[in-house]
Amino acid sequence: MTGEKTVKISPVTRLEGHGDITIKLGKDGKVKDAQFNITSTRFFEKFLEGRFAEEAPRFAPRICGICPEPHHLASVKAVEDAWGITPPAAAVKVRRLLINAKQLSSHALHFFALAAPDFLVGPFAEPAKRNLVTIVKAMPDVGKMALQMMQFGQELAAAIGGTAIHPVTAIPGGMLNPFSEENRDKFLKQIADIRQWTADTLTLAKKVFDDYWDTITKLGVVQTYYIGTHNNGAHEIYDGSIRVMDPEGSVVADIKPKDYRKCFAEYVPEHSYATHVYYKPVGYPDGVWRAGTLARTNVVDKMATPLAQEAFEEMRNRLGHPIHATFAYHWARIVELVQAMEELEILLKDPQIVSKDIKLSVVEPKKGDGVGCVEAPRGTLIHHYWTDEQGIITKANMIVATNNNVGGIEKTLMEVAKQVFEQRAHQKLKLPKPMIG
Amino acid sequence: MTKRIALAQLTSCWGCDQSLVDLHLGLLTVLPEIEIVFWPAVVDFKLKDLESMPDQSIHIGLVEGSCRTEEDVHLLNVMREKSKTLVAWGVCSCYGGIQGLANQWNLEELVDRKFMKADTVTDPRVPSENVPVFTETVQPNVDIVEFDVLLPGCPPTSKNLLDALTALISGKPFDLPEKSVCDQCSKVKQDKHIKEFHRTHEGHIDPSKCLLDQGYLCLGFATIGLCGAICPNVNTPCKGCFGPVIRVRDHGAKIISALGAVAEMEPDKLRESFPDPIGSFYFTDYAASYLSRIRTETRRKKKK
Repeated sequence: MTGEKTVKISPVTRLEGHGDITIKLGKDGKVKDAQFNITSTRFFEKFLEGRFAEEAPRFAPRICGICPEPHHLASVKAVEDAWGITPPAAAVKVRRLLINAKQLSSHALHFFALAAPDFLVGPFAEPAKRNLVTIVKAMPDVGKMALQMMQFGQELAAAIGGTAIHPVTAIPGGMLNPFSEENRDKFLKQIADIRQWTADTLTLAKKVFDDYWDTITKLGVVQTYYIGTHNNGAHEIYDGSIRVMDPEGSVVADIKPKDYRKCFAEYVPEHSYATHVYYKPVGYPDGVWRAGTLARTNVVDKMATPLAQEAFEEMRNRLGHPIHATFAYHWARIVELVQAMEELEILLKDPQIVSKDIKLSVVEPKKGDGVGCVEAPRGTLIHHYWTDEQGIITKANMIVATNNNVGGIEKTLMEVAKQVFEQRAHQKLKLPKPMIG
Repeated sequence: MTKRIALAQLTSCWGCDQSLVDLHLGLLTVLPEIEIVFWPAVVDFKLKDLESMPDQSIHIGLVEGSCRTEEDVHLLNVMREKSKTLVAWGVCSCYGGIQGLANQWNLEELVDRKFMKADTVTDPRVPSENVPVFTETVQPNVDIVEFDVLLPGCPPTSKNLLDALTALISGKPFDLPEKSVCDQCSKVKQDKHIKEFHRTHEGHIDPSKCLLDQGYLCLGFATIGLCGAICPNVNTPCKGCFGPVIRVRDHGAKIISALGAVAEMEPDKLRESFPDPIGSFYFTDYAASYLSRIRTETRRKKKK
């Protein structure tokens, strides 16, 4: 190595959002710095000020076009918390159906469109080929299955929310539109296919994990804290308590979302417009945590549904607990995909899902502040609003899934950069012949 | 011959891209007709790949999002240079999008709130290393470079995208409809005699009747009819997210003048009903409003 060098990846592709990677190498070839640069932001917290709080659920989904449903629901829950409102039970079930529909479509999208090209086409394939389009052409059955799973989730979300991007029907006090019997029957008819496709996806994913076992267990294994939501220890995405787990696997905090400021703090890096959220009592950077699929399956004791529990046990039996292998995010994603499918089936078969009693008649704005928390596909999501007597937002604070992850992503990036540039670890990995040659 | 297509994301939510992916099996009919030469959301080409293409070598370029940073402005200019036909894809590109609401404040106030004063921030500082500088305001992309086709929507529906792409791939023009959301809405409408406005959380909306007749601020009358009246169809007022009906330059001004005509209320009472006119009347197109343009101009003069 003759001089200092900077490796730049611009932009990072197959990513929702805007980011670059900057790796700085010293004269000795050692990695000096590894940065994940989030290169834009839109200032939502500021421009929510002055708005009718009941309309915040219309603004909030536009934070993220692939996970607008969690934003819609975290937002409505925050306003209900501020105004002291409990929506009818049936409305909560419809909302759960909505968030699970999104969980299903987002996890299918993430697995097949964002992640699978690396495994099925291969990490060293030419960039022009390493994408969903190639999968659709070379493995038409898999491609078709992936597209149909995404379609089911998106269409179900649209049947509830008006549109999957961006949903509109959640309102403080319930839902503006009932879920019709006609829609219930339409989606229930497709459940057998979805169950089969989910099982096929799990089988395919497990083959990929076996094929890439060396990569999964050796590349980018980093110890961090983990954060996720549970309900009496079971995996939960709509409403529960937040657990924080330390790198050894002990639960160090278990809080109600309203108390999030006891645990959550944001570090502003010099080199990114996304703050790094971390476990406040430990400080930055030691308290950096990760959120999302792997974090959730790490912090819970069990899954909420039987098939997901089976898949969860197999993952834990093979990788231990807590799992620090970053590639296992994909495995956990499939475990959650199974749970989303099972939750959807349970909810669609619940007679109350088509109830017309989905909105309170009297909803009064009041001065106060409220916190709404759900699990978005990529992690814990918090909306916190302050409202005045007229129910107008005076201040907003939001902690989105990305920010709960960027600190951990950067830590992983540093580890992988060292492995690749200092140890050439990528050349020593046992890699399979890609399924798509 | 397949058409070379590039899809670029400026600062945005990615919803336009998701809407395109949501063609799902419909993608199978479009894909053989096109060669995707740039689409960071899905395909691994980098900015330098796009920059090194010959000018005008892309048949159809689609740009979603708006310019919140100088890097966005650069990408927009590159897309213009490289594309024969450039499409303003989505309401951000056409009118600035929801982030245009940030134009109510100075850049310093925005940055201060996010990086210095957020409740949970422990190490306040403004990032400056390896991040592009922010633009002072959000402008509609159509004010920065010339576009050949406009396709508003937040996001445009999958069907809108299919219609536009199908037309453009076969070399046909794509024109926006004359219709409004009201024209696409099946609710029973009466002569408007609005005595009082309700907020959306108040009471119950009658699913058979026009929402505006019931006193809920439904903006379908002033909003371009591309979505198929999605929101009123699910008992929810239209917030105008697709932008104004064609030939209207200022969505909010159009709404305010129309409300003056149909609301049988004292002007003061009407004003009191909407304490946040910008959020109520310019959901995703404030950046394109006269008000925002005047504010931007005033700020620019002050800075000089």
